[in-house]
Amino acid sequence: MDAGAIQDRVQAALAPPRLGYYVLLLGAAAAAAVGAWSWSLIIRNGMQLTGLNRPVSWGVFITDFVFWVGIAHSGTLISAILFLFRARFRTAVYRTAEAMTVFAVMTAGLFPVIHLGRPWLFYWLFPYPNQRGLWVNFRSPLVWDVFAVSTYLVVSATFLLAGLVPDAAALRDGARGWRHRLYALVAMGWGGTDEEWRHHERAYLFFAGFATPLVISVHSVVSWDFAVSVVPGWHSTLFPPYFVAGAILSGVAMVITLLIPLRRALGLSELITARHLDMLARVVLLTSLIVTFSYALEFALAFRGPPRAERATLLYRAAGDYAPLFWIMVASNCVAPLFFFSERARRSTGTLLAICLLVNVGMWLERFVIVVTSLAHGRVPFDWHLYRPRLVEVGITLGSFGWFFFWLLLFLKLMPAVSIAELKEEAAHA
Amino acid sequence: MPEGVLGVFAEPAQAAGAVRSLRAAGHEVRAAMPAPYPAVMAALARPSSPLGFYTLAGALLGGAAGLALTVGTSLDWPLIVGGKPIVSMPAFLVVVFEAMVLVGAAVNSLALVGLGVRGRRRRRVPEDPRFSRDRIGVFVPGAAVGAEDILHGGGAEEVRRVAA
Repeated sequence: MDAGAIQDRVQAALAPPRLGYYVLLLGAAAAAAVGAWSWSLIIRNGMQLTGLNRPVSWGVFITDFVFWVGIAHSGTLISAILFLFRARFRTAVYRTAEAMTVFAVMTAGLFPVIHLGRPWLFYWLFPYPNQRGLWVNFRSPLVWDVFAVSTYLVVSATFLLAGLVPDAAALRDGARGWRHRLYALVAMGWGGTDEEWRHHERAYLFFAGFATPLVISVHSVVSWDFAVSVVPGWHSTLFPPYFVAGAILSGVAMVITLLIPLRRALGLSELITARHLDMLARVVLLTSLIVTFSYALEFALAFRGPPRAERATLLYRAAGDYAPLFWIMVASNCVAPLFFFSERARRSTGTLLAICLLVNVGMWLERFVIVVTSLAHGRVPFDWHLYRPRLVEVGITLGSFGWFFFWLLLFLKLMPAVSIAELKEEAAHA
Repeated sequence: MPEGVLGVFAEPAQAAGAVRSLRAAGHEVRAAMPAPYPAVMAALARPSSPLGFYTLAGALLGGAAGLALTVGTSLDWPLIVGGKPIVSMPAFLVVVFEAMVLVGAAVNSLALVGLGVRGRRRRRVPEDPRFSRDRIGVFVPGAAVGAEDILHGGGAEEVRRVAA
């Protein structure tokens, strides 16, 4: 396919949408509205509407926060890390992954604010001069989180925009009306001169250089929210690599989940091929093996030496009240991806989609199991208490998916889902 | 519009060959293209972008700002928490790192926009929508004596003289 044909194919995907698209968009908006309504109930009535109790003071909201930060990891992995390693298969898939990253961080960022209970005081999280002379506690991982997640949002959004500039210029020159104005705005006067490309290539390399350690730091910081405490089942040096691998697993599984219907709906099957999905499935397999090793290591460390609280907590995870969730998690994250050892499974879109959906469910459950079982079954038996999410928590979780898909669907019809410039460069090599 | 001779190419390899020939003949050569074709970029032999200096300065500034913020605010409100020292460097390094990345990436973006705009003005190439689609424009500014023949010989689809 030559450069002109690539552009035509991508432009065709941006054609006015059909009824199905509007139905999906309306569905996403409705789910987001359910979430907003549920949140408004909490604002008006307080956190008593949730299932949170003592000692389980972290529940679905923190689970959702960790889940969405994890989903956000794939974009940077695919666009930055694979860019630095010169993995060519990233070209056709990284734009969708980057967009997914930005919208997932936007979603994740809502949850600490929702979890506050009094969201109008969210600015207390930031260090600002005030008449009480107070400053935030920079020794706390919760404050590290504020800096890590805000930085991640800004850097991933800028990274996405930097890649969009040449593509917006290509679309600008063939567009009319409001689309022309939109693309002209994003293109920022881009003319495609050698001078612009010279700086752009350099800047893109630096963005990738910044984003790579950043992506590792962000989920490490999220893991320290747990690991820095002394709660059994959380207090482990294993957490940062374990969380980073889990984040990549869930993120890449989500990318595959989105790409399979997307390439068909937007007519991009010739650009996002079975080979691209195959390569992503290999990443899922690799990270699943790392996660499986981490699960096993967590138990091995707890069972080493004399009995300690960690051992009781981990036994409770596997055989206690939440055991069904634990075993669904193991089956989804450790067993199901093993099918990707088979090339046939990696090349079959039905199998890919089914396994990646399972991984998405499994990774949400992993966070729930980590957050809840450790708090529900602490060091002293009199303080054991079960936690069950209530309707407002389910509504807000549903709303987060609606919020995420609403922005993603809008993006896919306004901006190119694949990188036009990089595909043209690839085509010139072929 | 800048004055000079413009050649339009369909293939990066041909454009790169023409650029090399033009440079060998002593011409200043500029190009516009839909992607950073490595062959053309190498033939133009432009020096590497100075953008890294700005980005490095931004990253260092961000790191320093992060350090000043964490140490300064802790000394301003010296409350011992969790038995840790008032200035707890291992804990502060997380914030210092994030601030370094944040400011470094922000300056990187600003430098990209600024240098891009400056470069576009200094090394202007006649505008043509084909250069953002599937064609490569090779432009020789000024009188460009003999450039037309070299462009024709290099396989240009179209060669024209552009008036100011």
